[in-house]
Amino acid sequence: MSRHLRIVLVHPPRESDASLRAAALQAGLTEAGYELVASLPADLHLPERIAQLQPDMIIVDAESDARDVLEHIVVATRDERRPIVMFTDDDKTSSMEAALEAGVSAYIVAGLQPERIKPVLNVALARFRKEQKLLHELADTKHKLAERKVIDRAKGVLMARHGISEDQAYQRLRTMAMNKNLKLAEVAQRLLDVEDLLG
Amino acid sequence: MHIEKQAVRIGFNPLTDCASLVMAAVLGLDERHGIRIVLSRESSWAGVRDKLVTGELDAAHALLGMVYGTQLGIGAQRHDMAVLMNLNRNGQAITLSRRLMAQGAVDGPSLAALMQGERRSYVFAQTFPTGTHAMWLYYWLAAHGIDPLRDVRAITVPPSQMVYNLTEGHMDGFCAGEPWGQRAVMDGIGVTVATSQQIWPDHPEKALATSRAFADAHPNTCRALVAAVLEASRWIDASVENRRATAEILTGGGTVATDRAALLPRMLGQYDDGMGRQWQDAHPLCFHQDGAANYPYLSDGIWFMTQFRRWGLLKSHPDYEGTARAVTRLQLYREAAELAGVAVLPHSLRSATLLDGGTWDGADPERYALAFPIRQR
Repeated sequence: MSRHLRIVLVHPPRESDASLRAAALQAGLTEAGYELVASLPADLHLPERIAQLQPDMIIVDAESDARDVLEHIVVATRDERRPIVMFTDDDKTSSMEAALEAGVSAYIVAGLQPERIKPVLNVALARFRKEQKLLHELADTKHKLAERKVIDRAKGVLMARHGISEDQAYQRLRTMAMNKNLKLAEVAQRLLDVEDLLG
Repeated sequence: MHIEKQAVRIGFNPLTDCASLVMAAVLGLDERHGIRIVLSRESSWAGVRDKLVTGELDAAHALLGMVYGTQLGIGAQRHDMAVLMNLNRNGQAITLSRRLMAQGAVDGPSLAALMQGERRSYVFAQTFPTGTHAMWLYYWLAAHGIDPLRDVRAITVPPSQMVYNLTEGHMDGFCAGEPWGQRAVMDGIGVTVATSQQIWPDHPEKALATSRAFADAHPNTCRALVAAVLEASRWIDASVENRRATAEILTGGGTVATDRAALLPRMLGQYDDGMGRQWQDAHPLCFHQDGAANYPYLSDGIWFMTQFRRWGLLKSHPDYEGTARAVTRLQLYREAAELAGVAVLPHSLRSATLLDGGTWDGADPERYALAFPIRQR
């Protein structure tokens, strides 16, 4: 976690609305040595600016109505997620823990000592990465399982049609895959498609 | 009956349709049922959602679509939710800027014609990506041959900032709850080109939502709450005087940050589109309708899921009916309605004909979702 984190801070759209909370957090981040790449107003250009800047993390005031604009970004970029950290005046640790538990985001209480901001953000990022890794692994496993099913069904078709053993059926699929430079599952799927077509 | 939690913390966003929650507290209907409503004014829908998930709020005034978006994990982490009752029908609007009107866009067809002729980037705002207004806006555009995902740029803007952003020329139009459509007309900034009830007469709008965990752990509290809000809904709809008094309370105490002149007319069903047309609406904002507006129809929830599928927010079909049944507390609603002496409807599906002539009856959501000529492919 030694890499420099590129952070974008989102503040209310009109500068006059910028809360004391936001100012305090900004000071804290700078003091803690973060690279604050931008402090953006939560206006209509926010989604574009974030797409341009590609920050590692977004921090936003939990009480701000900017949250809905951010929600738009989350939904629009839901295939490439990034951690969003909220900060709030609410120091009820229970709600923070619950938020973390839900994997929604991290909550930072305003007025947090600058020296404590860094570990909190690092924990949030680590959690986020771990969660993303688990999600990818889950998707990967699901995908592999689906592939296995297709291959098994294709083997079954070959066995029934040619009266060969499971091992022989597998060898046939494999040879075909190597000759055609395709994945085993793709060859299996093609075979099943043809089977479907011809009945 | 043992009430598990007496003080119920309820979040709301400052809009006309939060009225029944506010009035349940103001009229003391909560106490009659052994609870105390503690209102919490919120500034964003995402904030409401997060606080329901963390338990910081017990229940909330919520966009019906948003509840289903949360249940299905669109955007944020999936979380089990509960709809206790519907809070209102109708009363949202699509507003276009006066600049667009001056160029001839006064309704759907003329907007489509203008966009055909003058090619540029058109920006339209809604209030939440999985919310009701996003779906009304998309539906309305698509019904006029405008693809909301390709032909326009749809953005999210909080309701109270719509008029400001329209004034500044940041966008061409928006869909939001009242009083913001009326405010834009009054300020001479925008014109009302469609009401949401023109898109779907008597459509569902806000719901009283909570997390499934809260509903499971506090059934008696939830029943008391629904009964109190049902009584408040009945009271608001009972007379014009009551509606006036409600408008007074919503604007007087600063619950909704605008003046009574902006909030009252459309609360009474009196519309002025800013283009010289005035009318008394046949399907205005309703809080009760003898219980019809409050009954949480399964088909209402399913409709939002079909639209999420239509617009690619869901990549595959969800278990439409199973999800709606899991989210909607029909049994709890029936019991609460009995407590409040409100008639319960016999069917959990209803039928309606929408703006584009399509009929929605909840029967075949998979087919319905994919039958629209304009959709995400």
